[in-house]
Amino acid sequence: MKPPLLAQALLMAVAGPCEAEYVAGDLEEEFAIVREARGRAAARRWYAWQVARSAGALLQLRVRSGELTHVVLIASLGVAVPLLLLDWLWQFVYSQIPLKDGLHRAPEFLVFNALCVCACAAVLGAWAAWKWPASKWPGSKSRALALAFAAAIAVLVALWAGAASAPAAYVVTLALAVPASALLTFALRKSR
Amino acid sequence: MKWILWIGGGLIGVIALACVVLLVLGHRANAGHASASADINASPAQVWQWLDDPGKLKQWISWVVEVRTPNGPVAAGVGAKRVLVMKDENNGGMLMEVEGVYTAYQPPTEMDLAMSTPGAFEGTETYRLTDLRNGRTHFEVAGQFRYTMWMAQLFEPLITPAAQKKMDGDVSRLKSLVEGGASAAR
Repeated sequence: MKPPLLAQALLMAVAGPCEAEYVAGDLEEEFAIVREARGRAAARRWYAWQVARSAGALLQLRVRSGELTHVVLIASLGVAVPLLLLDWLWQFVYSQIPLKDGLHRAPEFLVFNALCVCACAAVLGAWAAWKWPASKWPGSKSRALALAFAAAIAVLVALWAGAASAPAAYVVTLALAVPASALLTFALRKSR
Repeated sequence: MKWILWIGGGLIGVIALACVVLLVLGHRANAGHASASADINASPAQVWQWLDDPGKLKQWISWVVEVRTPNGPVAAGVGAKRVLVMKDENNGGMLMEVEGVYTAYQPPTEMDLAMSTPGAFEGTETYRLTDLRNGRTHFEVAGQFRYTMWMAQLFEPLITPAAQKKMDGDVSRLKSLVEGGASAAR
């Protein structure tokens, strides 16, 4: 019986490789104790809560170390900038409509945005696998997870900053598909 | 670094291909053309008011904030002008003026306008009302536009479908407003 996968991934992403190893080890020990005492579901909830409450402090430590600065920068350049550029392109298209139209984008434009941004995220994942090979970087998985989370946050920020109105389904799709694309290509390149 | 070159090359290739596709599509027969129609449960005279009255125009053409009629309170007759002031949220909320000059004006069946916004587009818009009897009217609107900016010309295959959707929305709003007004008047 293992702790929740998403919480583990979040822990790996927010903590640096060294901290993640120690914190995850401690949490897993306590997780086993809690599971014995209170059952599986309660233990999973406990684990997720512990990760959530430590995430801020661990992230702060990692940001202070300067390790995340270029991860955030790369995620922003890799996914947020293309998404904003696409938003500007559609803004231009809509501003040219003879009798002006609103901020709702046609579904085909949103699908095009999603495909482009997922492709950019996939490139980011491939880049992470090339830049941080496991042989040289023991914490490469943690960095790739951090990159995927940063990409998801960068997408949300870009959607918020963009002029167009974004339907909830579109926001959720991008927030899930972008990190998934990055992690998928990272894993594929690693497996080669 | 080789793969960066591949990605960069691929991206440039995709953009070039997209431009070629847009250029080819821009030469199709119905480029810049949008039209919409509806059967409205009101007489032609009742529908006509919604095309002619500046206050009513603002209600069914979305994003219009003001309608100016330099030739009098209700613009009428060939050669008269009608200026639609639109707030363009896609252009930083700027106010854009679309000037229309009547080229045909025959109440309550026919209205043609030559429309233009300097530096953006020019074209024509035609309105036709056909009496279907029993208080019903067939309403048709058609627009033919040409974009003056080169980038807008390139993006015409994307702009025109968006203009078509906007026109469909406006016509369905007109239908519900006219029918609401007509049923209240009965």
